[in-house]
Amino acid sequence: MSEQSVSPSLPGAPSFFTAVKAIVWKDLRIEQHTRQTLSLMVMYSLVTVVMFNFALEANLAAARDVANGLLWATILLAGTLGLHRSLALEQDNQAIDAILIAPIDRRVIYVAKVISVTLFTLLLEIILVFMFVVFFNKPFWQPAVLFILALGTIGYVAAGVVITSMAIQTRSREVLLPILLFPIVLPLILPAAIAVAEYMTGQPEMTRVTSTVSLVLAYDLLILAAGFIAYPYVVES
Amino acid sequence: MFFTLPRMNKIVRVLNILALVLLLINIIVVFFYAPTERTMGNVQRIFYFHVGTAWVGAIAFFVALVAGIFYLRKPQVKWDTLGLSSVEIGLVFLTITTAAGSVWGRPAWNTWWLWSPRLTLITIAWLVYAAYFMLRGAVEDAEKRGRFAAIYVIISFITIIMAYVSIRVLRDIHPVVFGGTADTAQGAAEGLQEFEGGLESMRMGLTLLMSTITFTVIYLAWLFNRMRLQYLKDEVDSLKIRVVTRLQGGGT
Repeated sequence: MSEQSVSPSLPGAPSFFTAVKAIVWKDLRIEQHTRQTLSLMVMYSLVTVVMFNFALEANLAAARDVANGLLWATILLAGTLGLHRSLALEQDNQAIDAILIAPIDRRVIYVAKVISVTLFTLLLEIILVFMFVVFFNKPFWQPAVLFILALGTIGYVAAGVVITSMAIQTRSREVLLPILLFPIVLPLILPAAIAVAEYMTGQPEMTRVTSTVSLVLAYDLLILAAGFIAYPYVVES
Repeated sequence: MFFTLPRMNKIVRVLNILALVLLLINIIVVFFYAPTERTMGNVQRIFYFHVGTAWVGAIAFFVALVAGIFYLRKPQVKWDTLGLSSVEIGLVFLTITTAAGSVWGRPAWNTWWLWSPRLTLITIAWLVYAAYFMLRGAVEDAEKRGRFAAIYVIISFITIIMAYVSIRVLRDIHPVVFGGTADTAQGAAEGLQEFEGGLESMRMGLTLLMSTITFTVIYLAWLFNRMRLQYLKDEVDSLKIRVVTRLQGGGT
Protein backbone atom coordinates (compact mmCIF):
# COMPACT_ATOMS: atom_id res chain seq x y z
CA MET A 1 0.00 0.00 0.00
CA SER A 2 2.76 2.38 0.89
CA GLU A 3 4.45 2.28 -2.49
CA GLN A 4 1.36 3.09 -4.46
CA SER A 5 2.02 6.80 -4.67
CA VAL A 6 5.61 6.87 -5.76
CA SER A 7 7.23 9.94 -4.33
CA PRO A 8 7.72 12.51 -7.06
CA SER A 9 10.87 13.64 -5.32
CA LEU A 10 12.87 10.79 -6.87
CA PRO A 11 15.92 12.09 -8.71
CA GLY A 12 15.02 12.86 -12.29
CA ALA A 13 11.28 12.52 -11.66
CA PRO A 14 9.20 15.20 -13.37
CA SER A 15 7.10 17.60 -11.32
CA PHE A 16 3.36 17.02 -11.03
CA PHE A 17 2.39 19.50 -13.71
CA THR A 18 5.13 18.51 -16.13
CA ALA A 19 3.91 14.92 -15.92
CA VAL A 20 0.28 15.96 -16.39
CA LYS A 21 1.24 18.02 -19.40
CA ALA A 22 3.18 15.13 -20.89
CA ILE A 23 0.23 12.71 -20.67
CA VAL A 24 -2.28 15.25 -21.98
CA TRP A 25 0.10 16.07 -24.82
CA LYS A 26 0.49 12.37 -25.61
CA ASP A 27 -3.31 11.93 -25.78
CA LEU A 28 -3.70 14.95 -28.03
CA ARG A 29 -0.92 13.72 -30.32
CA ILE A 30 -2.56 10.30 -30.64
CA GLU A 31 -5.84 12.00 -31.48
CA GLN A 32 -4.11 14.28 -33.97
CA HIS A 33 -2.76 11.24 -35.80
CA THR A 34 -5.76 8.93 -35.66
CA ARG A 35 -8.67 11.44 -35.42
CA GLN A 36 -10.73 8.52 -34.18
CA THR A 37 -12.14 9.57 -30.82
CA LEU A 38 -13.73 12.84 -31.90
CA SER A 39 -15.07 11.53 -35.21
CA LEU A 40 -16.56 8.53 -33.41
CA MET A 41 -18.24 10.79 -30.87
CA VAL A 42 -19.62 13.15 -33.52
CA MET A 43 -20.95 10.33 -35.68
CA TYR A 44 -22.52 8.64 -32.69
CA SER A 45 -24.19 11.90 -31.64
CA LEU A 46 -25.57 12.41 -35.14
CA VAL A 47 -27.06 8.94 -35.15
CA THR A 48 -28.55 9.53 -31.69
CA VAL A 49 -30.14 12.85 -32.70
CA VAL A 50 -31.64 11.35 -35.84
CA MET A 51 -32.93 8.42 -33.83
CA PHE A 52 -34.61 10.67 -31.28
CA ASN A 53 -36.17 12.65 -34.08
CA PHE A 54 -37.56 9.42 -35.38
CA ALA A 55 -39.04 8.72 -31.95
CA LEU A 56 -40.70 12.12 -31.98
CA GLU A 57 -42.19 11.28 -35.38
CA ALA A 58 -40.55 14.33 -36.89
CA ASN A 59 -42.84 16.52 -34.81
CA LEU A 60 -40.81 19.72 -34.83
CA ALA A 61 -42.68 21.41 -31.99
CA ALA A 62 -42.16 18.40 -29.71
CA ALA A 63 -38.55 18.05 -30.78
CA ARG A 64 -37.85 21.70 -29.98
CA ASP A 65 -39.38 21.31 -26.53
CA VAL A 66 -37.15 18.42 -25.62
CA ALA A 67 -34.03 19.77 -27.38
CA ASN A 68 -32.35 20.67 -24.10
CA GLY A 69 -32.78 17.24 -22.58
CA LEU A 70 -31.81 15.67 -25.86
CA LEU A 71 -28.57 17.67 -25.92
CA TRP A 72 -27.59 16.40 -22.48
CA ALA A 73 -28.59 12.82 -23.27
CA THR A 74 -26.51 12.92 -26.43
CA ILE A 75 -23.50 14.31 -24.56
CA LEU A 76 -23.81 11.55 -21.95
CA LEU A 77 -24.05 8.81 -24.54
CA ALA A 78 -21.27 10.10 -26.77
CA GLY A 79 -19.15 10.91 -23.72
CA THR A 80 -18.91 7.25 -22.76
CA LEU A 81 -17.31 6.58 -26.14
CA GLY A 82 -14.65 9.20 -25.52
CA LEU A 83 -14.02 7.94 -22.00
CA HIS A 84 -13.85 4.35 -23.05
CA ARG A 85 -11.55 4.96 -25.98
CA SER A 86 -9.18 7.16 -24.07
CA LEU A 87 -8.81 4.68 -21.22
CA ALA A 88 -9.07 1.40 -23.11
CA LEU A 89 -6.31 2.67 -25.38
CA GLU A 90 -3.95 2.45 -22.41
CA GLN A 91 -5.07 -1.11 -21.63
CA ASP A 92 -4.28 -2.27 -25.17
CA ASN A 93 -0.64 -3.24 -25.56
CA GLN A 94 -0.25 -2.76 -21.78
CA ALA A 95 0.54 0.92 -22.33
CA ILE A 96 -0.88 1.58 -18.88
CA ASP A 97 1.91 -0.50 -17.32
CA ALA A 98 4.53 1.81 -18.80
CA ILE A 99 2.77 4.80 -17.28
CA LEU A 100 2.44 3.03 -13.94
CA ILE A 101 6.15 2.19 -13.87
CA ALA A 102 7.09 5.81 -14.56
CA PRO A 103 8.27 7.62 -11.43
CA ILE A 104 5.17 9.79 -11.22
CA ASP A 105 2.37 10.18 -8.72
CA ARG A 106 -0.62 8.12 -9.89
CA ARG A 107 -2.95 11.01 -9.38
CA VAL A 108 -1.12 12.59 -12.30
CA ILE A 109 -2.79 10.02 -14.55
CA TYR A 110 -6.19 10.98 -13.17
CA VAL A 111 -5.71 14.71 -13.67
CA ALA A 112 -4.26 14.22 -17.14
CA LYS A 113 -7.05 11.89 -18.27
CA VAL A 114 -9.72 14.25 -16.93
CA ILE A 115 -8.15 17.12 -18.85
CA SER A 116 -7.74 15.29 -22.14
CA VAL A 117 -11.19 13.67 -22.17
CA THR A 118 -12.76 16.99 -21.12
CA LEU A 119 -11.06 18.65 -24.07
CA PHE A 120 -12.45 16.04 -26.48
CA THR A 121 -15.93 16.31 -24.99
CA LEU A 122 -15.84 20.13 -25.12
CA LEU A 123 -14.93 19.99 -28.80
CA LEU A 124 -17.84 17.61 -29.36
CA GLU A 125 -20.16 19.96 -27.47
CA ILE A 126 -19.22 22.93 -29.64
CA ILE A 127 -20.10 20.88 -32.71
CA LEU A 128 -23.29 19.58 -31.04
CA VAL A 129 -24.45 23.04 -29.96
CA PHE A 130 -23.96 24.26 -33.49
CA MET A 131 -25.96 21.30 -34.81
CA PHE A 132 -28.75 21.85 -32.29
CA VAL A 133 -29.05 25.52 -33.21
CA VAL A 134 -29.44 24.49 -36.83
CA PHE A 135 -31.77 21.54 -36.27
CA PHE A 136 -33.96 22.80 -33.45
CA ASN A 137 -33.68 26.57 -33.82
CA LYS A 138 -33.08 27.07 -30.10
CA PRO A 139 -30.70 29.69 -28.67
CA PHE A 140 -28.00 27.26 -27.47
CA TRP A 141 -25.17 29.40 -28.82
CA GLN A 142 -24.76 31.67 -25.78
CA PRO A 143 -21.69 32.14 -23.59
CA ALA A 144 -23.71 31.27 -20.48
CA VAL A 145 -25.01 28.00 -21.96
CA LEU A 146 -21.54 27.02 -23.14
CA PHE A 147 -20.20 27.81 -19.67
CA ILE A 148 -22.80 25.57 -18.00
CA LEU A 149 -22.04 22.83 -20.53
CA ALA A 150 -18.35 23.11 -19.70
CA LEU A 151 -18.99 22.90 -15.96
CA GLY A 152 -21.22 19.88 -16.45
CA THR A 153 -18.60 18.23 -18.63
CA ILE A 154 -15.86 18.58 -16.03
CA GLY A 155 -17.96 16.80 -13.40
CA TYR A 156 -19.10 14.16 -15.86
CA VAL A 157 -15.59 13.35 -17.02
CA ALA A 158 -14.19 13.49 -13.48
CA ALA A 159 -16.65 10.76 -12.46
CA GLY A 160 -16.26 9.00 -15.80
CA VAL A 161 -12.50 8.52 -15.60
CA VAL A 162 -12.77 6.69 -12.26
CA ILE A 163 -15.76 4.57 -13.27
CA THR A 164 -14.39 3.74 -16.72
CA SER A 165 -10.99 2.76 -15.34
CA MET A 166 -12.77 0.32 -13.03
CA ALA A 167 -15.27 -0.94 -15.61
CA ILE A 168 -12.61 -1.87 -18.18
CA GLN A 169 -10.83 -3.97 -15.56
CA THR A 170 -13.93 -6.09 -14.91
CA ARG A 171 -15.26 -9.15 -16.68
CA SER A 172 -18.11 -7.34 -18.43
CA ARG A 173 -15.83 -4.45 -19.44
CA GLU A 174 -17.57 -1.62 -21.28
CA VAL A 175 -21.04 -3.16 -20.92
CA LEU A 176 -20.95 -2.15 -17.29
CA LEU A 177 -19.94 1.45 -18.00
CA PRO A 178 -23.32 3.11 -18.71
CA ILE A 179 -25.02 1.24 -15.85
CA LEU A 180 -22.43 2.48 -13.38
CA LEU A 181 -21.75 5.91 -14.80
CA PHE A 182 -25.13 7.38 -15.78
CA PRO A 183 -26.82 7.12 -12.35
CA ILE A 184 -23.71 8.58 -10.68
CA VAL A 185 -23.69 11.66 -12.91
CA LEU A 186 -27.45 12.26 -13.05
CA PRO A 187 -27.45 14.43 -9.89
CA LEU A 188 -25.07 16.67 -11.84
CA ILE A 189 -26.97 16.63 -15.13
CA LEU A 190 -30.32 17.38 -13.46
CA PRO A 191 -29.42 20.89 -12.16
CA ALA A 192 -27.25 21.60 -15.21
CA ALA A 193 -30.15 20.83 -17.55
CA ILE A 194 -32.48 23.01 -15.46
CA ALA A 195 -29.97 25.88 -15.72
CA VAL A 196 -29.72 25.54 -19.51
CA ALA A 197 -33.51 25.31 -19.76
CA GLU A 198 -33.72 28.74 -18.09
CA TYR A 199 -31.72 30.22 -20.96
CA MET A 200 -33.97 28.57 -23.54
CA THR A 201 -36.88 30.73 -22.42
CA GLY A 202 -35.06 33.90 -23.40
CA GLN A 203 -35.52 35.46 -19.98
CA PRO A 204 -33.50 33.43 -17.49
CA GLU A 205 -34.53 33.76 -13.87
CA MET A 206 -31.18 34.55 -12.27
CA THR A 207 -31.89 33.16 -8.78
CA ARG A 208 -32.75 29.81 -10.32
CA VAL A 209 -29.65 29.89 -12.53
CA THR A 210 -27.28 30.69 -9.66
CA SER A 211 -28.78 28.03 -7.38
CA THR A 212 -28.57 25.29 -10.01
CA VAL A 213 -25.10 26.31 -11.19
CA SER A 214 -23.86 26.27 -7.61
CA LEU A 215 -25.17 22.69 -7.34
CA VAL A 216 -23.20 21.81 -10.47
CA LEU A 217 -20.10 23.44 -9.00
CA ALA A 218 -20.55 21.60 -5.71
CA TYR A 219 -20.78 18.27 -7.55
CA ASP A 220 -17.69 19.11 -9.61
CA LEU A 221 -15.62 19.87 -6.53
CA LEU A 222 -16.83 16.78 -4.64
CA ILE A 223 -16.22 14.38 -7.49
CA LEU A 224 -12.83 15.87 -8.38
CA ALA A 225 -11.70 15.56 -4.77
CA ALA A 226 -13.02 11.99 -4.45
CA GLY A 227 -11.54 10.95 -7.79
CA PHE A 228 -8.20 12.56 -7.04
CA ILE A 229 -7.91 10.72 -3.75
CA ALA A 230 -9.34 7.37 -4.90
CA TYR A 231 -7.71 7.04 -8.31
CA PRO A 232 -4.40 5.52 -7.12
CA TYR A 233 -6.43 2.59 -5.76
CA VAL A 234 -8.20 2.12 -9.10
CA VAL A 235 -5.03 1.46 -11.07
CA GLU A 236 -3.18 -0.43 -8.34
CA SER A 237 -1.80 -3.63 -9.81
CA MET B 1 -12.15 -8.97 18.51
CA PHE B 2 -15.56 -7.48 18.06
CA PHE B 3 -16.19 -9.31 14.84
CA THR B 4 -15.47 -12.88 15.92
CA LEU B 5 -18.31 -15.34 15.48
CA PRO B 6 -19.21 -16.53 19.03
CA ARG B 7 -19.26 -12.94 20.24
CA MET B 8 -21.41 -12.05 17.27
CA ASN B 9 -23.92 -14.80 17.97
CA LYS B 10 -24.67 -13.18 21.31
CA ILE B 11 -25.02 -9.66 19.87
CA VAL B 12 -27.24 -10.95 17.11
CA ARG B 13 -29.56 -12.73 19.53
CA VAL B 14 -29.95 -9.67 21.76
CA LEU B 15 -30.52 -7.35 18.83
CA ASN B 16 -33.08 -9.66 17.24
CA ILE B 17 -35.24 -9.70 20.34
CA LEU B 18 -34.79 -5.98 20.95
CA ALA B 19 -35.75 -5.15 17.37
CA LEU B 20 -38.88 -7.29 17.48
CA VAL B 21 -40.04 -5.81 20.78
CA LEU B 22 -39.38 -2.26 19.63
CA LEU B 23 -41.20 -2.87 16.36
CA LEU B 24 -44.30 -4.09 18.19
CA ILE B 25 -44.23 -1.12 20.57
CA ASN B 26 -43.66 1.24 17.67
CA ILE B 27 -46.69 -0.04 15.80
CA ILE B 28 -48.83 0.46 18.89
CA VAL B 29 -47.41 3.96 19.41
CA VAL B 30 -47.95 4.99 15.78
CA PHE B 31 -51.56 3.79 15.67
CA PHE B 32 -52.81 4.53 19.18
CA TYR B 33 -50.57 7.10 20.87
CA ALA B 34 -49.93 9.50 17.98
CA PRO B 35 -52.80 11.93 17.40
CA THR B 36 -54.72 11.94 14.13
CA GLU B 37 -53.51 14.71 11.88
CA ARG B 38 -56.12 17.42 11.30
CA THR B 39 -56.13 17.85 7.53
CA MET B 40 -54.90 14.50 6.28
CA GLY B 41 -56.28 12.18 8.89
CA ASN B 42 -54.93 8.69 9.39
CA VAL B 43 -52.94 8.69 6.16
CA GLN B 44 -50.40 10.88 7.90
CA ARG B 45 -49.36 7.93 10.08
CA ILE B 46 -47.41 6.56 7.12
CA PHE B 47 -45.12 9.52 7.68
CA TYR B 48 -43.56 7.82 10.75
CA PHE B 49 -42.53 4.80 8.70
CA HIS B 50 -41.48 6.95 5.77
CA VAL B 51 -39.15 9.19 7.79
CA GLY B 52 -37.86 6.37 9.97
CA THR B 53 -36.83 4.22 7.02
CA ALA B 54 -35.45 7.18 5.06
CA TRP B 55 -33.24 8.01 8.04
CA VAL B 56 -31.96 4.44 8.21
CA GLY B 57 -31.27 4.49 4.46
CA ALA B 58 -29.03 7.53 4.87
CA ILE B 59 -27.28 5.98 7.88
CA ALA B 60 -26.73 2.69 6.03
CA PHE B 61 -25.10 4.40 3.06
CA PHE B 62 -23.00 6.52 5.38
CA VAL B 63 -21.80 3.38 7.18
CA ALA B 64 -20.95 1.89 3.77
CA LEU B 65 -18.97 5.04 2.95
CA VAL B 66 -16.99 4.78 6.20
CA ALA B 67 -16.39 1.06 5.61
CA GLY B 68 -15.14 1.91 2.11
CA ILE B 69 -12.66 4.47 3.44
CA PHE B 70 -11.38 2.01 6.04
CA TYR B 71 -11.05 -0.71 3.41
CA LEU B 72 -8.90 1.49 1.21
CA ARG B 73 -6.71 2.41 4.16
CA LYS B 74 -6.31 -1.19 5.20
CA PRO B 75 -7.84 -3.91 2.99
CA GLN B 76 -9.44 -6.28 5.48
CA VAL B 77 -12.36 -8.56 4.68
CA LYS B 78 -14.43 -7.25 7.60
CA TRP B 79 -14.68 -3.77 6.07
CA ASP B 80 -15.79 -5.23 2.76
CA THR B 81 -18.41 -7.35 4.52
CA LEU B 82 -19.63 -4.34 6.49
CA GLY B 83 -19.91 -2.25 3.31
CA LEU B 84 -21.73 -4.97 1.38
CA SER B 85 -24.18 -5.66 4.21
CA SER B 86 -24.89 -2.00 4.76
CA VAL B 87 -25.54 -1.22 1.11
CA GLU B 88 -27.86 -4.21 0.84
CA ILE B 89 -29.92 -3.13 3.84
CA GLY B 90 -29.82 0.52 2.79
CA LEU B 91 -31.28 -0.40 -0.55
CA VAL B 92 -34.11 -2.32 1.11
CA PHE B 93 -34.90 0.62 3.39
CA LEU B 94 -34.78 3.04 0.49
CA THR B 95 -37.31 0.86 -1.30
CA ILE B 96 -39.57 0.84 1.78
CA THR B 97 -39.28 4.64 2.01
CA THR B 98 -40.29 5.05 -1.61
CA ALA B 99 -43.17 2.62 -1.33
CA ALA B 100 -44.47 4.27 1.86
CA GLY B 101 -44.09 7.71 0.28
CA SER B 102 -45.98 6.55 -2.76
CA VAL B 103 -48.87 5.29 -0.66
CA TRP B 104 -48.96 8.66 1.12
CA GLY B 105 -48.66 10.54 -2.18
CA ARG B 106 -51.75 8.96 -3.63
CA PRO B 107 -54.20 10.73 -1.26
CA ALA B 108 -52.00 13.79 -0.64
CA TRP B 109 -50.92 14.63 -4.20
CA ASN B 110 -53.53 12.54 -5.96
CA THR B 111 -50.83 10.54 -7.73
CA TRP B 112 -48.56 7.62 -6.86
CA TRP B 113 -45.54 9.19 -8.43
CA LEU B 114 -44.23 12.59 -9.55
CA TRP B 115 -40.99 13.36 -11.33
CA SER B 116 -40.14 16.15 -8.92
CA PRO B 117 -36.42 16.74 -8.19
CA ARG B 118 -36.53 14.95 -4.86
CA LEU B 119 -38.27 11.85 -6.13
CA THR B 120 -36.03 11.81 -9.19
CA LEU B 121 -32.90 12.06 -7.06
CA ILE B 122 -34.07 9.24 -4.79
CA THR B 123 -34.67 7.06 -7.84
CA ILE B 124 -31.17 7.92 -9.02
CA ALA B 125 -29.72 7.02 -5.62
CA TRP B 126 -31.57 3.71 -5.79
CA LEU B 127 -30.08 3.00 -9.22
CA VAL B 128 -26.59 3.98 -8.05
CA TYR B 129 -26.67 1.54 -5.16
CA ALA B 130 -28.32 -1.20 -7.20
CA ALA B 131 -25.45 -0.90 -9.69
CA TYR B 132 -23.07 -1.59 -6.79
CA PHE B 133 -24.06 -5.25 -6.98
CA MET B 134 -23.51 -5.29 -10.73
CA LEU B 135 -19.98 -4.05 -10.16
CA ARG B 136 -19.33 -6.65 -7.48
CA GLY B 137 -20.69 -9.40 -9.69
CA ALA B 138 -18.38 -8.44 -12.53
CA VAL B 139 -15.14 -8.82 -10.56
CA GLU B 140 -13.90 -12.29 -9.72
CA ASP B 141 -10.78 -11.55 -7.70
CA ALA B 142 -11.82 -10.97 -4.07
CA GLU B 143 -9.17 -8.34 -3.36
CA LYS B 144 -10.04 -6.36 -6.48
CA ARG B 145 -13.76 -6.73 -5.80
CA GLY B 146 -13.37 -5.27 -2.34
CA ARG B 147 -11.20 -2.42 -3.61
CA PHE B 148 -13.54 -1.48 -6.47
CA ALA B 149 -16.61 -1.77 -4.26
CA ALA B 150 -14.97 0.54 -1.70
CA ILE B 151 -14.10 3.15 -4.35
CA TYR B 152 -17.56 2.94 -5.86
CA VAL B 153 -19.33 3.31 -2.54
CA ILE B 154 -17.25 6.40 -1.70
CA ILE B 155 -18.09 8.04 -5.02
CA SER B 156 -21.76 7.10 -4.88
CA PHE B 157 -22.21 8.84 -1.54
CA ILE B 158 -21.96 12.08 -3.52
CA THR B 159 -25.41 11.15 -4.88
CA ILE B 160 -26.79 11.14 -1.34
CA ILE B 161 -25.14 14.48 -0.55
CA MET B 162 -26.50 15.97 -3.77
CA ALA B 163 -29.99 14.61 -3.07
CA TYR B 164 -29.87 16.20 0.38
CA VAL B 165 -28.61 19.57 -0.88
CA SER B 166 -30.59 19.74 -4.13
CA ILE B 167 -33.99 19.47 -2.54
CA ARG B 168 -33.16 22.43 -0.35
CA VAL B 169 -32.19 24.50 -3.38
CA LEU B 170 -34.60 23.42 -6.10
CA ARG B 171 -38.33 23.99 -5.97
CA ASP B 172 -40.15 20.86 -4.94
CA ILE B 173 -43.59 19.70 -3.90
CA HIS B 174 -42.12 17.31 -1.33
CA PRO B 175 -42.16 18.63 2.26
CA VAL B 176 -38.80 19.28 3.90
CA VAL B 177 -38.76 18.08 7.50
CA PHE B 178 -35.20 18.74 8.66
CA GLY B 179 -33.33 21.97 8.01
CA GLY B 180 -35.78 23.46 5.55
CA THR B 181 -35.34 27.09 4.60
CA ALA B 182 -38.16 29.60 5.07
CA ASP B 183 -38.94 29.20 1.39
CA THR B 184 -39.48 25.46 1.59
CA ALA B 185 -40.96 25.41 5.10
CA GLN B 186 -44.44 25.85 3.72
CA GLY B 187 -44.16 22.31 2.41
CA ALA B 188 -43.40 21.04 5.89
CA ALA B 189 -46.58 22.63 7.15
CA GLU B 190 -48.44 20.36 4.78
CA GLY B 191 -47.22 17.18 6.43
CA LEU B 192 -46.64 18.32 9.96
CA GLN B 193 -48.72 21.35 10.68
CA GLU B 194 -49.02 20.46 14.29
CA PHE B 195 -45.30 20.47 14.93
CA GLU B 196 -45.72 24.17 15.74
CA GLY B 197 -46.42 23.60 19.42
CA GLY B 198 -48.85 22.19 21.93
CA LEU B 199 -49.39 18.76 23.42
CA GLU B 200 -50.50 17.05 20.20
CA SER B 201 -47.41 18.10 18.31
CA MET B 202 -45.24 16.89 21.18
CA ARG B 203 -46.89 13.49 20.87
CA MET B 204 -46.20 13.49 17.15
CA GLY B 205 -42.59 14.40 17.79
CA LEU B 206 -42.21 11.60 20.33
CA THR B 207 -43.74 9.09 17.92
CA LEU B 208 -41.32 10.17 15.24
CA LEU B 209 -38.41 9.79 17.66
CA MET B 210 -39.67 6.34 18.66
CA SER B 211 -39.95 5.33 15.01
CA THR B 212 -36.46 6.52 14.23
CA ILE B 213 -34.98 4.62 17.16
CA THR B 214 -36.93 1.48 16.25
CA PHE B 215 -35.79 1.47 12.65
CA THR B 216 -32.21 2.17 13.68
CA VAL B 217 -32.27 -0.89 15.98
CA ILE B 218 -33.84 -2.98 13.21
CA TYR B 219 -31.05 -1.80 10.92
CA LEU B 220 -28.39 -2.82 13.46
CA ALA B 221 -29.99 -6.22 14.02
CA TRP B 222 -30.21 -6.79 10.31
CA LEU B 223 -26.66 -5.61 9.76
CA PHE B 224 -25.21 -8.01 12.32
CA ASN B 225 -27.30 -10.90 11.00
CA ARG B 226 -26.16 -10.17 7.48
CA MET B 227 -22.50 -9.89 8.48
CA ARG B 228 -22.69 -13.09 10.47
CA LEU B 229 -24.19 -14.81 7.45
CA GLN B 230 -21.33 -13.56 5.28
CA TYR B 231 -18.74 -14.86 7.74
CA LEU B 232 -20.41 -18.27 7.80
CA LYS B 233 -20.45 -18.26 4.01
CA ASP B 234 -16.76 -17.36 3.83
CA GLU B 235 -15.96 -20.04 6.38
CA VAL B 236 -17.86 -22.68 4.40
CA ASP B 237 -15.98 -21.61 1.28
CA SER B 238 -12.60 -21.96 2.95
CA LEU B 239 -13.62 -25.35 4.43
CA LYS B 240 -14.65 -26.53 0.97
CA ILE B 241 -11.26 -25.53 -0.42
CA ARG B 242 -9.53 -27.41 2.40
CA VAL B 243 -11.57 -30.55 1.75
CA VAL B 244 -10.89 -30.39 -1.96
CA THR B 245 -7.15 -29.96 -1.48
CA ARG B 246 -7.07 -32.84 0.97
CA LEU B 247 -9.00 -35.10 -1.40
CA GLN B 248 -6.57 -34.21 -4.14
CA GLY B 249 -3.77 -35.35 -1.88
CA GLY B 250 -2.45 -31.86 -1.28
CA GLY B 251 -2.85 -32.28 2.46
CA THR B 252 -2.87 -29.46 4.92
